[in-house]
Amino acid sequence: MSTDLPAPDGPSEPVVQSVAGWRAERVRIFWIWLVLTGLLVVFSLTVPARLMGPPASPTMHSVESTMTLFSVAASPVAALVWAIALYSLLRWRSKGRPTADGPAIRGHAATTVAWAVTSTVLCVFLLVWGMAEMIVINSPAEANAPLVVDVTGQQWVWTFSYPSQGNVESDQLYLPVDRPVIFHVTSKDVIHSFWVVQMGIKIDANPGETTKTSVMPDKIGVFDVRCAELCGLRHAEMQTSAHVVSASDFNSWLSQNGGHS
Amino acid sequence: MSAAVSDVAPQASTAPTGGGVLRRLNIVTAVWAGSALAAIGWFIAHELWQDGDHGSDQVVLVTLICWSVGFMVGIGAFNGPIGWIRGNDLAHEDELFLAGKDQGIGRYFRFTTDHKVVGIQYLIVTMVLFALGGTLAMLIRTNLISPDSQFLSAQTYNAIVGLHGLIMIIATIIMVTGPFGNFIVPIMIGARDMAFPRLNALSLWLIVAAIPVLFSAAFLGGIPTGWVGYAPLADQAPPGMDAYSIFILIFAVSSAVAGANITTTVLTMRARGMSWRRTPIFVFGTVASVGLALPAFPLFMASQILLQVDRTQGGQFYVASGGGSPWLYANLFWLMGHPEVYVILIPAIAALMELTPVFARKPLFSFNTAVIAIAGIVGLSVMVWAHHMYAAGWAPDLNGPFMLTTEMISVPTGLLFLVILGTLWRGRIWTTVPMLATYAMLWNFIIGGITGIYLSDVPADYALHGSMFVTAHFHYTLMGAGLTGAIGALAYWFPKMTGRMLNERAGYISFWLVQIGFNVTFIGMFAVGLAGQPRRVVTYAHLFAAGNLVSTLGAYCIGIGMLVLLYAIVSSWMHGPIAPANPWGAKTLEWTVPNPIPLENFEVLPVVTEDPYGYGVDEAFLTAELVSGSAPRTASTGSATATQAEVAAGSGQQVATLDREAGQL
Amino acid sequence: MTVSAHVPVAGHPAEDVQVVGGRQRTGVLLLIVADAAFVGALVFSYFYLRGLNTSGAWITQGMHTATIWVGWLIGLIAVASAWCYRSGVNALRTGKIGGLIGGAGIALALVLLDSVVQIIQLASLPFKPDANAYASCVYTLAGANLFHLLLTAVIGVGIWNRARLGRYVATNPWQVEIVAIWWNWIAVAAIAGAVTTSFIASPNVGG
Repeated sequence: MSTDLPAPDGPSEPVVQSVAGWRAERVRIFWIWLVLTGLLVVFSLTVPARLMGPPASPTMHSVESTMTLFSVAASPVAALVWAIALYSLLRWRSKGRPTADGPAIRGHAATTVAWAVTSTVLCVFLLVWGMAEMIVINSPAEANAPLVVDVTGQQWVWTFSYPSQGNVESDQLYLPVDRPVIFHVTSKDVIHSFWVVQMGIKIDANPGETTKTSVMPDKIGVFDVRCAELCGLRHAEMQTSAHVVSASDFNSWLSQNGGHS
Repeated sequence: MSAAVSDVAPQASTAPTGGGVLRRLNIVTAVWAGSALAAIGWFIAHELWQDGDHGSDQVVLVTLICWSVGFMVGIGAFNGPIGWIRGNDLAHEDELFLAGKDQGIGRYFRFTTDHKVVGIQYLIVTMVLFALGGTLAMLIRTNLISPDSQFLSAQTYNAIVGLHGLIMIIATIIMVTGPFGNFIVPIMIGARDMAFPRLNALSLWLIVAAIPVLFSAAFLGGIPTGWVGYAPLADQAPPGMDAYSIFILIFAVSSAVAGANITTTVLTMRARGMSWRRTPIFVFGTVASVGLALPAFPLFMASQILLQVDRTQGGQFYVASGGGSPWLYANLFWLMGHPEVYVILIPAIAALMELTPVFARKPLFSFNTAVIAIAGIVGLSVMVWAHHMYAAGWAPDLNGPFMLTTEMISVPTGLLFLVILGTLWRGRIWTTVPMLATYAMLWNFIIGGITGIYLSDVPADYALHGSMFVTAHFHYTLMGAGLTGAIGALAYWFPKMTGRMLNERAGYISFWLVQIGFNVTFIGMFAVGLAGQPRRVVTYAHLFAAGNLVSTLGAYCIGIGMLVLLYAIVSSWMHGPIAPANPWGAKTLEWTVPNPIPLENFEVLPVVTEDPYGYGVDEAFLTAELVSGSAPRTASTGSATATQAEVAAGSGQQVATLDREAGQL
Repeated sequence: MTVSAHVPVAGHPAEDVQVVGGRQRTGVLLLIVADAAFVGALVFSYFYLRGLNTSGAWITQGMHTATIWVGWLIGLIAVASAWCYRSGVNALRTGKIGGLIGGAGIALALVLLDSVVQIIQLASLPFKPDANAYASCVYTLAGANLFHLLLTAVIGVGIWNRARLGRYVATNPWQVEIVAIWWNWIAVAAIAGAVTTSFIASPNVGG
């Protein structure tokens, strides 16, 4: 805008538009919203879970469902905001400085209440879903005869030991498939964070404390263990592998390393 | 820095002689005094303690404290208190001198109390911080351009990550309430200055004193802990960590002083007739921010004092073998850290809520909802801190309740979206640079908010915590919504603060470069985060290479956009077209004062008769359809402002009458 | 704690002393809120570490702990000091400037005495701050209290000196009254410190 604009003279002639005109606009916004919602739902169903990769445990499975579900649930909300914003740019934009004011709408009680109620309902839904999910991911901890693994972080290696299998120690994690595992995690120096990426579990390793997490690996393969808390110079290299193997392979690994099943 | 500036000379014979010693004090004497005292402190501490167990930390601690105290002595911060103790009150001409009367450019380099000078000083400080933090971001992204770049050593990389984080957090905390809270808010509420002008100068100069302390960390081994400074990693960090602690101590004092000052100003100095319902929404946002920071930052300060006891006295606060706990640090830190997120966001979004009605030519949609939403966010923000600690193992049984409070906060935040969308609804949209910032915020903050919902969910957070996904999420909120809002605020108030129009073409170019670059950068970061790349790593698996390359290219795009913005600001400030008093046709009080703004803003104090959103016409006669639930709260503009005697510019402003007797009331 | 009266420039009429005084009181109350958050953080740290008793090392078995009554003595002297200051303020309200000089003077002397007691306590604690978490907490709380007392002493010197110079009148007691709020607060904070350090042994002995 140039700077030698005349000072505005307050509201001048408003643009009079018919009731039918506004109705048509709302219909158009509805269509934009519907298309955006559709696109976002397609995105939600295909992208986030795929980026997270194939799950290696029911926990990760549940996390990926959550990501997909929350994305789908958020789609109409984001689409509504963007549809109105987009429409306002396309149709209500004035060429240069507006010569007239818009309508003096100071609020709309019904809209506000509807907005607040909808977001509260969505919130309650998220909470209930999250609580239900927590029960699912905690179930391996309550299972019978879980395998206990002591995990110790120190700058900048992980050590795994199997207290009930003759204290076998290893710098790589070996787990039998389809058996619940409880990790007892601690640290020798600073805070680390024990993260088995494809199993969707993470718990901090704190000096002086033992924290617990649990999982049931349900897929044979090699997965990534990383440190997720900045722990000093070689934090980036503080990673190792988690080998999920069959029960018999696990037992032979134990006995090769001086342990017993 | 000499006091002899151009416009003083002709009046030298008649100029008041107030100011006393302060006439000879400015930033140069401050640097000299700070350096001298730092040298003395270093020498003494070095002689006494260097060989002790914690010698180097004690020496750094003493030296940096001496620097800060010396700097504040040298700028004249202690003259007021010492004069008060000695029973000397300021004479009228001393007040005039302190306010910077007839000192030209020189007043920006000394302990000047005029809130407009302090606002500009804050703006410069903020821009310097952003320039430095942004440069560090470019270094970080350059290092991450490929997994094998080896551009930075691990040690340098960790140091830079911590410095980038801390500089940017501090910059974003002060970016709105500093420049605009000081410059704009007092005029906006019809006051002649802040409640405590000398405390205002104090809060600014404390930050200036602290900035060299922060940068000294770069030469003392850096801050290798990330900006959070988690203990016990912080216990074993090099002396750069001491610089971090001292910086936080000074910053906490500064923010407490500024918070008390701005809050008092708004509570007690609003113009006659400016009831809370007639107070602009930006004022609410500013008070919410500084009022929230006021009790929050002392917790950060306490956490750093405990850290210093650990580091310099061998204390055991965060050392598990001595009965300490890293969870103590995490709790103190996040009790500050989560309110701090809203300290940053609320005023930025409030600024956008302030300018959206101006460029939509409509009243703010549901003012009450906006106020309630801000209050709700403030209230909830102190109850959500442990969502940063779901995976800490600190208190697993509390994860459920913290998930509840965290998800609840999306309700008031959602209402802020409603307020802005409602304001856009059927408006006459004028797409200036400030208005584009509103649109960018609507885009970015939706993404930031939704990704926040994943992180609020405990199981999903177990998978995502500590990954690049979190980094991308909070950049979408603090940068995509916060910094974008601050840039919008700058473009909006630039004509009032500098008296010149911002170069619009450069503004648009910068806007698009920054916004496109921003989205490219952080969408790439979301992708690698979901795929499992941890935060704060100097190198990463080849699996993440493509996403990181995209992020780095996006970051360069942001960098170029920011340079264009810098060019726009500097060139417009120096020789942009002169701005009229009210270029946007806005209705808040700051647009009623002439450019350049006189020393005490208002010749006659304004009296406010209506709220500042009286745009548009009562459209009951146009269409009865949409206003059914919303009877306009004020009558049509014409009748409510019957006695318009506005002098400056633009009619229909919030001031209906300029009461000649107001000063005597 | 500096509060600057806003003398208008350019000949604008002066603001009412009640308005200015009330404003300054608001500002000081807000600063006290910030300081209270800080003291609260220290108290929280004490009780949090005591409750956790990490590695069973909150206190070392058989160590000599701080003498509880010294903390209470320091707190009670602070309360007495605040009470003396308060009576000085009341004297000013009735126009007795001498009463203010006396009250503020005694209050100042008590705060200085309190600082000395606090320093003696710090110097004679039977442990070093590096002994364990309890020791670190006690030193930090005592240090924070000493800082409070010294800051109050500086303010007290100002009030006493200004009263002596006749800067205060019965019609405008705002400044001395605002300082009274601060004085009461540091007494409360000192008592809070005494209460905190009265709880020594960790309830969490099992871990």
